[in-house]
Amino acid sequence: MTGGERLSAVTGETPVFHAHPPCRRTPSIHPTTQKISLAFTLKKYLAALALCASGALGAEDSKPGTIQDQLAAMQESIRQMQTQHQQEIDALKKQLTDQQTLIEALQTSAATSTAPPLPSGKGEAAGPSLTPPNVPAPSAAPPKMEFPTTDDALVSSRAPASAQPAAASEIMPTIDTSVVAGPTLGGPPITLGGGSKMYLNISLDVLINAAASTARDLDIIEVGDHDPIHRGFNARNTELVFDGAVDPYFEGFANIVFKLDPQNETSVEVEEAFAQTTSLPWNLQVKAGQYFSQFGRINSMHPHTWDFIDAPLVQGRLLGPDGLRGVGVQASWIVPTPWYSQLILAVQNGEGGTGFSFRNTGDDGKFAGRETIDRQLRGIQDFVFVPRWESAFDFGSTKTLLTGISAAFGPNDTGANAHSQIYAVDAFYKWKPDNAGGGWPYVKWQTEAMYRRFEAGRGLDDSFAASEIFRDWGAYSQVVWGFKTGWAAGVRGDYLHMTDSQLTDDPERQSRWRLSADLTWFTSEFSKLRLQYNHDFLEASHFLGGRDVDSVFLQFEFALGAHGAHKF
Amino acid sequence: MKIRSIILIAALAAALLPSAQAKLNVVATLPDYAALAREIGGDKVDVTSLAKPTEDPHFVDARPSFVVKLRTADVLIEGGAELEVGWLPPLLQNARNEKIEAGKPGRVVASQGIRLMDVPATLSRAAGDVHASGNPHFMVDPIIAKAVAQHIAQAFATLDPANAAGFQANSAKFETEINAKLQEWGRELLPFKGQQLAAYHDSWVYFAHRFGFALETFLEPKPGIPPSPSHLADVIGKIKTDHIKAILVEPFQNRKIAEKVASSTGAHVVDAGQFPGPAESYTAHIDQLVAAVAAALK
Repeated sequence: MTGGERLSAVTGETPVFHAHPPCRRTPSIHPTTQKISLAFTLKKYLAALALCASGALGAEDSKPGTIQDQLAAMQESIRQMQTQHQQEIDALKKQLTDQQTLIEALQTSAATSTAPPLPSGKGEAAGPSLTPPNVPAPSAAPPKMEFPTTDDALVSSRAPASAQPAAASEIMPTIDTSVVAGPTLGGPPITLGGGSKMYLNISLDVLINAAASTARDLDIIEVGDHDPIHRGFNARNTELVFDGAVDPYFEGFANIVFKLDPQNETSVEVEEAFAQTTSLPWNLQVKAGQYFSQFGRINSMHPHTWDFIDAPLVQGRLLGPDGLRGVGVQASWIVPTPWYSQLILAVQNGEGGTGFSFRNTGDDGKFAGRETIDRQLRGIQDFVFVPRWESAFDFGSTKTLLTGISAAFGPNDTGANAHSQIYAVDAFYKWKPDNAGGGWPYVKWQTEAMYRRFEAGRGLDDSFAASEIFRDWGAYSQVVWGFKTGWAAGVRGDYLHMTDSQLTDDPERQSRWRLSADLTWFTSEFSKLRLQYNHDFLEASHFLGGRDVDSVFLQFEFALGAHGAHKF
Repeated sequence: MKIRSIILIAALAAALLPSAQAKLNVVATLPDYAALAREIGGDKVDVTSLAKPTEDPHFVDARPSFVVKLRTADVLIEGGAELEVGWLPPLLQNARNEKIEAGKPGRVVASQGIRLMDVPATLSRAAGDVHASGNPHFMVDPIIAKAVAQHIAQAFATLDPANAAGFQANSAKFETEINAKLQEWGRELLPFKGQQLAAYHDSWVYFAHRFGFALETFLEPKPGIPPSPSHLADVIGKIKTDHIKAILVEPFQNRKIAEKVASSTGAHVVDAGQFPGPAESYTAHIDQLVAAVAAALK
């Protein structure tokens, strides 16, 4: 591309370059500049005229009377014209410097995203509040410029509109450059406000729990990895969150979690780190990386967005303390129906603690009482497949229901041919009145039920006495009432049924129920305090006695950084 | 049974097939942008607003049905300046609609080209829920509304060149109407120029600037922070000493608190919404707003 073409691309005009550089003309002379150079040309012309006139005066000295008078009159009129033109030139110069100041102000604001000094809105007259320019006024602009020095396509150079005299009848200004920037000619407005000025949104979210419980083994009573797992203070979820656009094709997300164990040792967890497509055709979206499977509702939610401090029993025992997540690929399709309906299919490794019911060698190499085999991936059939179908319906302008059915299929590590299948239904209903302020009041109802068929094999080298099939199931249901701005109260009922195996004393296989109540005070959007009471009842099984446990938790959350957005 | 399945198939087909009409499908995040879109687009566009006029624009639920609306949108008009930051991003992530991606002609960011007021010099949430780009409640200034209307007209013209002239004409018509209306509104409000207003939340700085009111008294101690008794005591003192006559309250704010302040000071509660109703025009809405404020100040 030549210089001329590039310029024409910018100005939208045909370049009129001549072959020889000395004869080059500017492709587009700014109107104001044109006026100024015109004025200067006029001035020169007038000066020449004056010279001629004085020359004539010298030649026709013999007739002093009327001619001299005429000449004097001419000189006077020339002087007047000169003054007049000088005034015009001065006005134009001022206009130019005003514009330069405006341009500079715009550039500064564009560069720093800070608006130029603005009227405070405290009763001062509307109008441009730009201070007189400190920049030196451009001295006589050259009549022919080598290169354009202004460009309307990029920089608005319209005279400040309020400089135009208002019609006599107008008591209110109808233009105000202190709030609206002049639009660039034919293009979109100059960006002054709005939009992110960062490539990456970063935030930090910290959950601190204080726990009291009648149980010494709180890590058995509480089923989630981010729940309070020992008496006293717990910091199980310090989460760094990153997100942003990768490029025009992908968005990236990452949640890095730092956990403190009872010995106050820190462990780091790449909870999620994935990218997803932004603009595939046919309502498709693909994501890849480490991510929570979209199974049920609470599984893919981060603990600080939960309505209770701890994970529901069925979530922690069937999907695992870490939830069902892993490295893999997910494709989803929004079904083009008039209501919201989406089909999702994830394929993940399903290995380790985050693939709890699948290829999970378990703690100390044991799961469901069996010595596990570390089954390596043999083929596509050894992945975990997680399909889900979710739909949502609005009931009027205040009520919304989101429902889903999910499943997860894959092999497990308790036997060479052992498999697991989990099925779930979930529903979430929210009422929020039309004039809710700050998000309050509201009522939310959330329920999930899950069923797991777990083929427990004979373990490593058939070391276990027998193979069994566990048919485990459970459900929870919770209602949260945001009764007053900043306040919410909730109740939850939890039930978990685990097949009572006569062959294993695994304490995680105890059937149980739980009742919870909590009260939350959202001190602001970025911090909250939550008090929760749990009553747990663990049923007697073949090996384990039944018992009641009472626990009280107090949670404090704070968030720093980018303003998080809330999914429904 | 047969008839029912035929109807079902037909309904499904109707839903699946792209609609034959060439109308631009416009989604606005807030009702004020929707009102301008209707003004500019006329019968050449279908306009939907995600938020309701009575709703707090900072706290709109990201209902899944919004994904359906955004999925098929030709144009998205948003305010920007972090007003919708709490609910729009997850909707857009799920909508997977190339036409309304940032930077595309179908994405209109209304705050573009507007010099926002109250841009914080330092960013700290100790100052409440501040917006880094400035105060986003700019649509109550009719001069700004003209610029936004022009911006919308440009976007419509780009996307539907066949009707470009019509959109530009509507924009010009809107501009003329606002210019005339401004004189009317000015006649009503300029007699009170220099007076102080109080408000629940700082949503009225642009309105105050336009009509020459001073606005520095808020029932919220800091943006987004609910009123505390000690702060309200200060506010009551200030309203009394400065003889503030009007307290602007939006439909989603706690009117009872404002009433309490009003009854102990003699000020009037002004029911002032930022947003026009579903069928209300922008000028009709400002008419109402101006009349309400003028009535309280008389």
